[in-house]
Amino acid sequence: MTQPTQKYLFLHRSQAGQSTSASDQRPSPEQMQAMMAKWNAWKDKFKDNIVDWGDKLKPGGKMVSGSTVSDGPFVEAKEIIGGFMIVTAASLEEAVVIAQEMPGGPGARIEVREMANAHM
Amino acid sequence: MTDGAEHTAVLVEHYFRHEYGRLVAQLATKVGVRHVELVEDAVQSALATALTAWVVNGLPRDPSAWLYRVACNHLVGVLRQDAGRLRLLSSTAELEHTTETTPYFANEVRDDLLRMLFICCDEAIPRESRIVLALKTLCGFSTPEIALRLFTSEANVHKRLQRAREMLRAAAADLSSPPLDALQARLASVHEVLYLLFNEGYLSVHTESAIRRELCDEAIRLATLLAEHTVGDVPETFALLALMHLHAARLAGRVDGAGGLLLLEEQDRARWDRDQIRIGIAWLARSASGERFSRYHAEAGIAAEHCLAPSFRDTRWEKITELYLLLDRVSPSPLHTLNRAIAIAEWQGVDAALALLDAIDPPAWLSTSYLWDAVLADLCRRAGRDEVSHRHRERALSEAPSDAVRDLLRRRLSADPDV
Repeated sequence: MTQPTQKYLFLHRSQAGQSTSASDQRPSPEQMQAMMAKWNAWKDKFKDNIVDWGDKLKPGGKMVSGSTVSDGPFVEAKEIIGGFMIVTAASLEEAVVIAQEMPGGPGARIEVREMANAHM
Repeated sequence: MTDGAEHTAVLVEHYFRHEYGRLVAQLATKVGVRHVELVEDAVQSALATALTAWVVNGLPRDPSAWLYRVACNHLVGVLRQDAGRLRLLSSTAELEHTTETTPYFANEVRDDLLRMLFICCDEAIPRESRIVLALKTLCGFSTPEIALRLFTSEANVHKRLQRAREMLRAAAADLSSPPLDALQARLASVHEVLYLLFNEGYLSVHTESAIRRELCDEAIRLATLLAEHTVGDVPETFALLALMHLHAARLAGRVDGAGGLLLLEEQDRARWDRDQIRIGIAWLARSASGERFSRYHAEAGIAAEHCLAPSFRDTRWEKITELYLLLDRVSPSPLHTLNRAIAIAEWQGVDAALALLDAIDPPAWLSTSYLWDAVLADLCRRAGRDEVSHRHRERALSEAPSDAVRDLLRRRLSADPDV
């Protein structure tokens, strides 16, 4: 079986303004360890599909539009992008399955986009 | 940030939780307990960083050293940002230094954990806050997890934690961490907190045995550390450990397959943990020295009698009666008299037991508790005083704290033993 080469971009979205800074709301050490076990299981299952783990994105930033530069976070957006990742899959459907099986916190949403290979 | 090599080794159970306790104790020792909240934030961040980094890169060669370094760096960053904490800079410099050298020695880790335990057991901190503070800082439980285990609300746990932290901030002395010897006067409070911690697990009416077990295991873990250090290697500590192991040995036997509670006489003694009994007896032997006979000695002695008895019938009830009397002398409570009556009923008969209870005037907290009514219902039933028994039975059932206890009472107190 040949490895799929079509790349998909995963954008991790979460509710804007949903702060997780209150100490009582943060995951406990035990929960973090359980989460790590889930992530490792996901990684083992899809290790051939993960091209780039991407990164988490810090909050804030700038919106550049010509000479106009405004501050983020962007008030009009209901959700903010918290991170990204690149995977390969045979089809959009398969990419969706990979995203569905990804362990996520409550309210986590993943936008799955096929990459167009526009520069090839 | 990782050490390169990818290890697929799985983390041991409760690794993050226990590392949390270790790191908080070590870093609080370095920067002072007054800053325990900053320290906890730094440790929380280090674990969160590990969660991502270790999934992507695999486990570092020495995960504990990795966590220490990351938590240190985070703490240094936070302390640097705050000009008001300038006077902390010398300890900050020391912190940075430690991140580049050998981060820890096993002995120092143990000392730091014990120091933190003694700090949690400061007499100035309200009693109910001590156990919460220990569970949070030393055992790595979150506020919701503590609330679940102590059968109280998160708001209540939060309030108790806040009160404990206010006390820690007010305690000016610990910018430099006090030597353990200076804290030895708090040993009795440490014993009490460990005892309460154990009982919260052991006596819990939680249906999930894993949750009950956790608090017992934490108490045993900390008590063992204490027994291994000169600050705590006294007969009381050994007796406390004996009683913990001897109770823990019977934990699995206390519930049936469906999670229902079982009476002592219904328990399958083959399910009791022989290893735990052996360890408990060894600690009990070590505790039999010195002049002081503590309540822990008495309770461990009673637990040992049960563990070593071949059956309920062949239990040395006269020994247990005597031990309850000794227990009542070192730690007076009418509850001990109630328990002694139960032993006397098996040894000398129900009439002797009822005579003992008739002679005491129980305080309201006991006479209105389901325990008092349950014991009297049982004794009166066996003495043929059905009408009195029935009255106590009804009250015991209505006051029972959980359905599991109610089921057990119904079985035990029913007039027809087969119902």
